[in-house]
Amino acid sequence: MNYTAAPPMSQSTAETATLQVLYSDHHRWLVGWLRKKVGCSHLAADLAQDTFIRLITSRLVPATPSAPRKLLSRIARGLMIDHWRRRDVEQAYLAAIAHLSQAEVPSPEDRLLIIESLMRIEALIRDLPEMTRRVFLLSQLEGVPLNQIAQTTGMPLITVRRHIQRALIACLAVS
Amino acid sequence: MAETVDNGILAEAADWILLFQSGHVSEQQREAFERWRATSPAHAEAWQRAETLLTTFDRIPKGVGSQALQGTSRVSRRRALRSLVTLVVAAPTVWYVSSQLRGRWEETAVTARGQRRTMQLPDGTTVVLNTDSAIDVRFTPDKKEITLARGEILVTSGHDDRSDDRPLLVRTAHGSLRALGTRFSVRLMADATRSAVFEHAVEVVPVAAGARVLSDGQQATFTARGIVSMATVDDNDALWERGMLLLKNVRLADALAELGRYRTDVLRCDPAVADLRVSGALSLDDTDRALRVLGQMLPLRIDSSRPNEIFISPR
Repeated sequence: MNYTAAPPMSQSTAETATLQVLYSDHHRWLVGWLRKKVGCSHLAADLAQDTFIRLITSRLVPATPSAPRKLLSRIARGLMIDHWRRRDVEQAYLAAIAHLSQAEVPSPEDRLLIIESLMRIEALIRDLPEMTRRVFLLSQLEGVPLNQIAQTTGMPLITVRRHIQRALIACLAVS
Repeated sequence: MAETVDNGILAEAADWILLFQSGHVSEQQREAFERWRATSPAHAEAWQRAETLLTTFDRIPKGVGSQALQGTSRVSRRRALRSLVTLVVAAPTVWYVSSQLRGRWEETAVTARGQRRTMQLPDGTTVVLNTDSAIDVRFTPDKKEITLARGEILVTSGHDDRSDDRPLLVRTAHGSLRALGTRFSVRLMADATRSAVFEHAVEVVPVAAGARVLSDGQQATFTARGIVSMATVDDNDALWERGMLLLKNVRLADALAELGRYRTDVLRCDPAVADLRVSGALSLDDTDRALRVLGQMLPLRIDSSRPNEIFISPR
């Protein structure tokens, strides 16, 4: 028996069709739009590709998008911001480990895990008030005891605890 | 799917976290905690999230996390705002240019399952990361080194600058590859590394064996002790770069193993269909669709009723 079949191009759902139209009509425009924003054509091409991937995976494709460029630029903008955030976290991480001795510097494998984890934490606490973030990081990432945080910040212990509890709830709310 | 858990329960979970972190937990409290967790599925879910969160915290070495995150978010927010008014590049560009002038550059890149990412290095080299991959790039004044920690990359070396005579190396656990002006892929597998050369040549240096040059169209699989097999390749083997998988008379089991690399669940198939042959082009960006297409090409039943597993059997 021979099961060779035509490539999947032949089966086209409405969604694929819409997506193909979106791609052929607006891909070039999107790359240009992004290039103006980020100033690098490779990064722009990358982000444009990611935008379409996000569009496919999130199933955001409406049957007939009324304002396709608005939709695309909204997604692209989000990805662009994520990109800079990641860059910031990576740079901050490098700065943070710069003072470590050779033996303490995490291996490349660990480093990737650490940066991924930092990114996740950054996203979780991004919208919290400054003081809550600070107290929370000291307690949960550095393991500084609550009473010590209270001493150094001059806040009552119960306030310190409330900040941390609030941040923990915010983190747990997003699973 | 994420279920919503009542805020009151999350607050209780936060209290338990703080109690456990205080280090003073009595036997009674521990029992009370076990009862609390068993109260309802929502309680169990809340604690599950707490454990995941604490595991994430544990990964961050002391003295690094708070400093790194303290510095970033405000900058991020400022920069995010700036990018909205299109003034975005100034700060990173200055940093980038000044470090490039010193010939030093470092970057880390990771992709999740099903993701792909293209990265541009300062010397014009392009690196595409395939699904579930991780690399660490380090440029120093005397060499340019990419460490492949996981997954697969496609490297197209740049030749922007003739005064740059630093070698470009890709390292894995099994050895290193030295680019000789070229386009090649490197895939790190459980017990060996496989490299395919699409243009020019690459010198393979296993950790404990002599060097050997691969030329275009050649593929070598090597361990630390040397090259274990050679094969031929063509451009289609790098089609994943464009989100496509081209199958030419391939066993279904092998096709599924390949698709599985791009998915977070497990693809299993009935031995009765494992040896069916399949040809076609599948999308790696939408592997659900790819599976449906396979189901139309071959008489298969695709059962996704079990959690985290898809079982493929004869129709």
